[in-house]
Amino acid sequence: MQPQLQKSKTDQPNVVSQSDWLAARRELLAEEKEFTRRRDALSARRRELPWVKVEKNYVFDGPNGKESLSDLFRDKSQLIVYHFMLGPGWEQGCPGCSFLGDHFDGTLVHLNARDVAFSAVSRAPMPQIEAFKKRMGWQFKWVSSNSNDFNYDYHVSFTKDEMVKGKANYNYGTREFPSEEAPGLSVFYEDAAGQIFHTYSAYARGLDILLGAYNFLDLTPKGRDEVTLAQPMSWVRHHDRYENGYTVDQAATYQSPKLASDSCCSHEQPT
Amino acid sequence: MQAKLQKTQVKSPKVVSQADWLVARKQLLTKEKEFTRQRDALNAERRALPWVKVEKQYVFDGSSGKLTLAQLFNGRSQLFIKHFMMGPGQKQQCVGCSLEVDHVEGILDHLENHDVSYAAVARAPIDEIEAVRKRMDWHFPWVSSYNNDFNYDFNVSFKPEHMTAGTADYNYQQGNPGMEDLSGDSIFYKDDSGQIFHTYSTFGRGGEEFLGIYRFLDLMPKGRDENGPHHSLADWARPHNMYGKGGMVEATGRYHAPGCACAVHT
Repeated sequence: MQPQLQKSKTDQPNVVSQSDWLAARRELLAEEKEFTRRRDALSARRRELPWVKVEKNYVFDGPNGKESLSDLFRDKSQLIVYHFMLGPGWEQGCPGCSFLGDHFDGTLVHLNARDVAFSAVSRAPMPQIEAFKKRMGWQFKWVSSNSNDFNYDYHVSFTKDEMVKGKANYNYGTREFPSEEAPGLSVFYEDAAGQIFHTYSAYARGLDILLGAYNFLDLTPKGRDEVTLAQPMSWVRHHDRYENGYTVDQAATYQSPKLASDSCCSHEQPT
Repeated sequence: MQAKLQKTQVKSPKVVSQADWLVARKQLLTKEKEFTRQRDALNAERRALPWVKVEKQYVFDGSSGKLTLAQLFNGRSQLFIKHFMMGPGQKQQCVGCSLEVDHVEGILDHLENHDVSYAAVARAPIDEIEAVRKRMDWHFPWVSSYNNDFNYDFNVSFKPEHMTAGTADYNYQQGNPGMEDLSGDSIFYKDDSGQIFHTYSTFGRGGEEFLGIYRFLDLMPKGRDENGPHHSLADWARPHNMYGKGGMVEATGRYHAPGCACAVHT
């Protein structure tokens, strides 16, 4: 058995009888049901958003040559693009995006069965993507937008000029952003005539719901256990970089990606 | 390019200019942020629930011998239990539970390094569990509660007499669930002195929290697209190795492979 990890302590719990617990649990259940219905309603609103026709012909570099945006749909009519933070020259992908990346493979066969194709897209050139993907043991589709404007058009890459001027257009607002690359998720639809539409994009904490591991942690007594950390996700490592007895540097903050060195996501605090 | 699958059509969409889209999207963003904060608040309430001390000594059958509930914590202080719907002799694999655990393999490293151990528990004997695990190529810890009361105490298995009398407890209400085993998720905490507490359990649609695929599908133009006959994931979900291979799924989520000769089909 592994040694007990030294982690934060849980606040003095309120230990009660089974019947008192049930009374409290039933009260909470009513709120949970209300929340589930609220989520259903929000999801419906998301799908009611209007669409925008994609007029540019985006061509990506794939593992076996050029692929158009249309090619990424394969035989599906819906496409999820995950904008994975891996810039040209970066040694590895952002740990936060890699955390989310660990969620994809297990559900891909199920998503495909729902008329959904999936691809990650990064601005790094294809050899860099392939090397990192191999290291992480991932199977999901991943292409490079290095030779097109896709990342800029969907507001997940910023020019040096935008960064210097503090005018990065991210998450539907103009702000300072500490990295050339940012995380996001976009959804596209291709109709029978081959027309492609952009239907949805989410950024920043909008991606939080996609981190299934958080849904598990949120129900545990310690929750995300990030309150004492300088940066919410600074406990996360690439899945091959956790070590026995690994500890979290509570003061670790965001570091701008350096060429061929570690990189890190930026995380918006709840507003 | 391959021909597009002929699936359900999306209701005629409203196609607008980029500028108009942005206006609508920003309005929605406000709602989304509100929802994110509501979710944070609900999660805080979940963690504020009182705890109940676990007094029974549960001993499970694992692939390499007996394991106590304490041992399932595997050196960590928090334990997530997936109550996998699989009774003794149950040949028809539950597609919902199978879909749920397909989400877990990729995130185990992260959970285990954040003081959370994970284990699935089913009432089927361990050799039946091992056969399914092998077939599905799953690696997470999965033990059998065949020789203890765990499933009954945590209200995911039901005695026939309670079902008949309508006094079986599921999802915090009494009735006849109609099946001997159902799905759920429970959370336990172990303190430094080895005391174990039950902190949380969720059933029914509560399990959607662990179906990350719904977070993706909910964003797609077609959504979950569950148009019958069951109007649930039983409409479409299959064990991950059985897509495109036929078979059928009951309303209960039980998958019958092609060639299954049981009475349900007749």
